[in-house]
Amino acid sequence: MPLEFSRFLKKVSVEVVVGRWSFQVEAMDRGKFSDEFTEKSAVLYLNEEFGKSNGFREGDIVRLTSGNKSVNLKVLFSDIAPENGAFMPNSIYTSYLTDFSSFKRFRATIEPSNDRITKPEEIMQKVLSMD
Amino acid sequence: MHVCAGCSCLCDDIEVEIRDGSVSKVYNACRRGAGIFLNTGSSRAEPKIDGDNADFEKAVKGAQEIIQSSDSLVIYGLDTVTLEAQELAIKLAEKKEAYIDDNSTFCLGDFVEMILRKDIPSTTLEEVKNNAYVIFYWGTDPYHSLSRHLSRYTYYPRGGKRQRGYEEDRFLVVLDVRKTHTAKLAKKNARFLKVDSDEEVMRGFIDALEGRSPKVFQKDIPRILKEMEKGGFNVIFGGLGLKYGLKGDYSILKEMIRKMNERSEVYFIPAGCHPNMRGFNELLFEKTGYVNKYSFKDQTSSDEFAFHRLLEDGKVDAALIIGSDPLNSLPLQYARKLADINTVVVDPRETFTGKIAKVVLPSSIAGIEGGGTMIGADGTRIRLKPVFEREINDEYVLKRLLEVI
Repeated sequence: MPLEFSRFLKKVSVEVVVGRWSFQVEAMDRGKFSDEFTEKSAVLYLNEEFGKSNGFREGDIVRLTSGNKSVNLKVLFSDIAPENGAFMPNSIYTSYLTDFSSFKRFRATIEPSNDRITKPEEIMQKVLSMD
Repeated sequence: MHVCAGCSCLCDDIEVEIRDGSVSKVYNACRRGAGIFLNTGSSRAEPKIDGDNADFEKAVKGAQEIIQSSDSLVIYGLDTVTLEAQELAIKLAEKKEAYIDDNSTFCLGDFVEMILRKDIPSTTLEEVKNNAYVIFYWGTDPYHSLSRHLSRYTYYPRGGKRQRGYEEDRFLVVLDVRKTHTAKLAKKNARFLKVDSDEEVMRGFIDALEGRSPKVFQKDIPRILKEMEKGGFNVIFGGLGLKYGLKGDYSILKEMIRKMNERSEVYFIPAGCHPNMRGFNELLFEKTGYVNKYSFKDQTSSDEFAFHRLLEDGKVDAALIIGSDPLNSLPLQYARKLADINTVVVDPRETFTGKIAKVVLPSSIAGIEGGGTMIGADGTRIRLKPVFEREINDEYVLKRLLEVI
């Protein structure tokens, strides 16, 4: 049985910057309920050095938590991510995690997850069942 | 040639090839623009009532009933539709004594309002192409949000007084909290300033202009100011990063631009994404003196009348959402409340908001399936030249909704 080192990783606290990402916007026109939209939106871009130094590999699924709200995202490395933070394209995922006071930059924690990527429909379910 | 209504650039040099009744090739557009044309048939909205497919006429009747019976209606969205449709929406809001608001409340409406009130000087992209030397991108990443901005209008093109190419005739300044793709272009004749506090950087420019040493970017700020004096015509493109960085207090931005203008010409243009946000702001401003979050009942604009506040405070019993998807773009703690009231969505494509709406009415994609006029972020009016004509568009739907009021 392979060792799952990611299980021993601790939570990492980061600032997440939200912005436009033309590849994700393109996917939006193909359909917000398409797999491509999820694939391009449910992504956490990390600076490679920062990601690796915290034990994350490209393709890992992580749980991103802000306040009491969490989503599962795929980690990708990119040189446009902040050096010690993360970047996310704006979409239903960031709308779920943010408020106007933290609309373009918000604090969050990243931790490894063995679950699958959260789908937009699941976010809608969570939101609609809120009190 | 067609116009791409994908963002506020409103590029009017788009060429397309049609095969079997749909767009098969697109020339000159950016990734986003090409995607809109090529995916015209994708994820199209269908008429729905309570989530079930319905006949279009029945859906119109359902929407009419909701609007007719509403005591407190809000109309929201509108930044992706034409001026003609926006005029009808404003008329509907006026007749219903409703609230009306658009994305500019949380996007760049404050900047447009400052321009319309002449608090800050602005110019057109054509003037920028022909004259601008120092070009600031402050809190915006046009590489992804306005993809042809640099190549067609600002940094790369040769025009007017700027014939020697970007290596000599432009000076690029990118200010952002991270090194964006736009920032990576800042190499020769350029500066990238990594911003922690926008206010601190603006204070640095003001200090340098008043003869003091800036506390940040001690070498870069004086050099940029020197280049601005040399160029004589300079422009600042401000994006959402700048808006949220300043937290609603723009006094220092105005002061910095005023002081810069004592040395050389400096203009400000919002770097907004929505194709006709400025159009809505201008129309409402002409009619009411305010650019957004307006109540026709109270005859004034207020933060209380911002779309998200109306939802949060439970002040509306119905919402008409046109060409926008608040569930995708607004903090969901507010947008979720659309499920508790009578929501009508008018949109050419399937949206998350459409999934929780009582009624969905499909419309056409502006610029591809319908004509009309839009106003770009620089205030230039552009006439759309559609590829196809579709009878059911935003104007048609709004006229039908107006029938019952």
